[in-house]
Amino acid sequence: MIDYKKIGLKCGIEIHQQLNTHKLFCNCPSTLRTDRHDTVLKRRLRAVVGELGKIDIAASHEAKKAKNFIYEAYSGTNCEVELDQCPPLPINKEALDTVLEISLLLNAKPVDYIQVMRKTVIDGSCISGFQRTALIARTGSIKTSFGIVHIPTILLEEDAARKIKEDKDSITYRLDRLGIPEVEIATSPDIHSPEQAKEVAKYLGMVLRSTDKVSRGIGTIRQDVNLSISKGARVEIKGVQDLNSIPKVIEKEIQRQLSLIKQSKKIKEEVRKANPDNTTSFLRPLPGKARLYPETDLPLFKITERRLKTIKLPELIIDKAIKIEKKYKINAELARLLVKGKINFSKYIKKFPNIEPSFMAKTLVLTPKDIKRRYKLDSKKIKEKDFEFIFSALNDGKIPKSAIEEILVNICKDKKINLAKYKTISEKDLEREIEKIVKEKKGLTVSAYMGIIMKKYKGKIDGKKVIEILKKLI
Amino acid sequence: MVKTTKKGIKPGDFIAISTKDEKIKGILMPGSDREKIILKLENGYNIGISRKKIKSIKRLKGHKKLEIFPSLKIKQNPKLPSVSIVATGGTISSKVDYETGAVKSLMQPGQIFSLAPEIVDIVKIRKIETPFMKLSENITPKDWQIIAKTAAKLLNEEDKGVIITHGTDTLHYTAAALSFMLKNLTKPVILTYAQRSTDRGSTDTALNLICSAYMATSNIAEVMLVGHGETSDTFCLANRGVKCRKMSSSRRDTFRPINEPPIARIWPNGKIEILNRAIKKSKEVKGKVIADTKFEEKVALIKSYPGANPDIINYYLKENYKGIVIEATGFGHVPTEGKNNWLPNIKKAIKSGMIICFAPQTIYGRLNPFVYSTGRELLETGVIYLEDMLPEVAYIKLGFVSAHFKKYKDIKDEMLTNYAGEITKRIQPDTFLY
Repeated sequence: MIDYKKIGLKCGIEIHQQLNTHKLFCNCPSTLRTDRHDTVLKRRLRAVVGELGKIDIAASHEAKKAKNFIYEAYSGTNCEVELDQCPPLPINKEALDTVLEISLLLNAKPVDYIQVMRKTVIDGSCISGFQRTALIARTGSIKTSFGIVHIPTILLEEDAARKIKEDKDSITYRLDRLGIPEVEIATSPDIHSPEQAKEVAKYLGMVLRSTDKVSRGIGTIRQDVNLSISKGARVEIKGVQDLNSIPKVIEKEIQRQLSLIKQSKKIKEEVRKANPDNTTSFLRPLPGKARLYPETDLPLFKITERRLKTIKLPELIIDKAIKIEKKYKINAELARLLVKGKINFSKYIKKFPNIEPSFMAKTLVLTPKDIKRRYKLDSKKIKEKDFEFIFSALNDGKIPKSAIEEILVNICKDKKINLAKYKTISEKDLEREIEKIVKEKKGLTVSAYMGIIMKKYKGKIDGKKVIEILKKLI
Repeated sequence: MVKTTKKGIKPGDFIAISTKDEKIKGILMPGSDREKIILKLENGYNIGISRKKIKSIKRLKGHKKLEIFPSLKIKQNPKLPSVSIVATGGTISSKVDYETGAVKSLMQPGQIFSLAPEIVDIVKIRKIETPFMKLSENITPKDWQIIAKTAAKLLNEEDKGVIITHGTDTLHYTAAALSFMLKNLTKPVILTYAQRSTDRGSTDTALNLICSAYMATSNIAEVMLVGHGETSDTFCLANRGVKCRKMSSSRRDTFRPINEPPIARIWPNGKIEILNRAIKKSKEVKGKVIADTKFEEKVALIKSYPGANPDIINYYLKENYKGIVIEATGFGHVPTEGKNNWLPNIKKAIKSGMIICFAPQTIYGRLNPFVYSTGRELLETGVIYLEDMLPEVAYIKLGFVSAHFKKYKDIKDEMLTNYAGEITKRIQPDTFLY
């Protein structure tokens, strides 16, 4: 067991999350394309002058040898802004309001005037040679079970173009992703254990999803971890895939650094990438301070009191889940999944009062996952109307609980559902039938009778009921 | 708007701002005013802080020098052909300061090399003259005269050609003016520009300057506008100065040839592909370049459109204007019916000695007064139909010709004589929307 305090672990998290709105500086949809592009641009980036005003001759010669950048674009979803044919349009207000909402949820203070900056990027992923980025809020913080973690900056910025391929002379990028708005939330290195890092990332992800204005799906969120230990060096680890990987990646990186320290080897400050097995590999040297200077094509934007007053703060998902958990007496995980799945659970409760809430919740959120895993079927085929149909039948006693899974499986298999097939036998009739069987085959065990009866009424009856009746008769 | 506060704090100073919630440290940036202070934070981001929230500002130790512009000391190759540069302003001459975002005009010799160090392998830059620095919306006919005289002087020295850097807004006007004012042109005169400011890696300046350098040492004795031929950084076009126009507010390839093919396509490796054979070669012209800069400033360019009030002509008549070019619709028409009938005022103006010319509002295509009776009537009143001359070029030519000739017949003859290719004899079909 590592004593993280003793080794001086300092850790910070950086999250980049795409927002579910059109592009940040134009009106194009934030659509990624997989079909063939219809426009190609070939551009070169010039050597950028150094901070102190001197130009590096070597850099200018590099510019001559520099790669060509090829940009794939789509006339239907890319405009002159992405092609760097014209100045940016004013900042997307919906994106701005979303980031203000996120900022307030994280106790951060929005700035009075936003100045969009240009951040020089020379690898070609930003067609204009810079990324547009703006500081929206400062001095945020969250409470964790390990203490307060500060969030010094919340940024709104445009995503870069997607790298498609690279060869000797050129790099090809696709412009579909360029300009999609992203919020960047960066914590201070106030995290002192791998578990705390996971908790922070989990909480931040939950806050983002609570706004219901962030994009979902692969590639829409990126999690980076920065860490350092005493006697070690600061590394930035890019692209940690999921929550559970975060503590594992941190642990493995600590091990790597401790091992190097033990061998008296030098540890370099660098940028590393997270691998699927939670180890990390070198990506590139830690960059120098990027040049940030004002985007002169856009005026300062004042965040007025009036604007802040219009920002409605949503209920956090964890708070929604706790409410459901308490109200319907279902377990926390089921409650969380209901909220995450945006299921209007109270509607189901109201409509189907004869069904136990826990069972309904389980059917709504766990059974489809189960079906997908066990039968390898597409559980997305089960729609709201299907659940309503099944619950209605169950609520009216037309089918037993045990029939639910088979019916759902058949929906996934596109089979027509004939409820009559599952029609339960009434309790009175069932008792009569069981009496008959017990009379006909005297002297068998309860399990033996169970076997005969369940086989006869496959799926149409509730096993518990049968045992009840048998116990009564025998 | 750079303001010095009462405490003598200037942009570049490290300061600490106290609000009721916190103390923020940073560098004071220009752009602060009565409403707000602009501060550059340690992380590099600028933010604006409302003055209402500020309780106090304290100056800390330290100052960051702002507005440092790049300069490049380069050793030139004396064996290369020499060209000189006339820098007049525009985005190409401007630099964005990395700290403040301020756009400033510059053009110290070292600074041009920072825009395209490759030029050092193509030409030797002998002189850089900066008669003035203007954004080109502010360029006037007097400025054309200055540029023409400067260019002629340089060309008559040892240069193989001259490159003029200029803002894009009115670059095609200057190109036309020089085409008329530079007589006996023996060498190339190249006008070039930047649409994307030079602080960015994506600036279009370099390709434009490199191709300009090659064209300035070519054997084509014409006034040409050189810039991106397409939006990619692949090649430039050299367009005839009197046959091109800024056609997009922002595209790199904004200057398009109108009604004729461009003179040439130029690649950054020096390859020049001639696309238009109607050009003068240097060896065909002997002697000195003469700057004939006489220009009649009392000429105007106006546009005809539905509902346009013809009284505008009376205004110019009253102000003693010598001539007007009207951007006429279609084949060369103006309203000739109803309460806004232009005919009476046009007749009156021509009778009192004013020259009225028509040029195509459609930009592409040629005027034709014969197809419709309207045109015939206007022609009969004495309107000069300028074939396919661009309206902006027509306005400049009228100013030039009116300064040299007084009689209607002489002016008409000169306006319809090609001085620099401003009238296209054959319009090829592939030149539409080139």
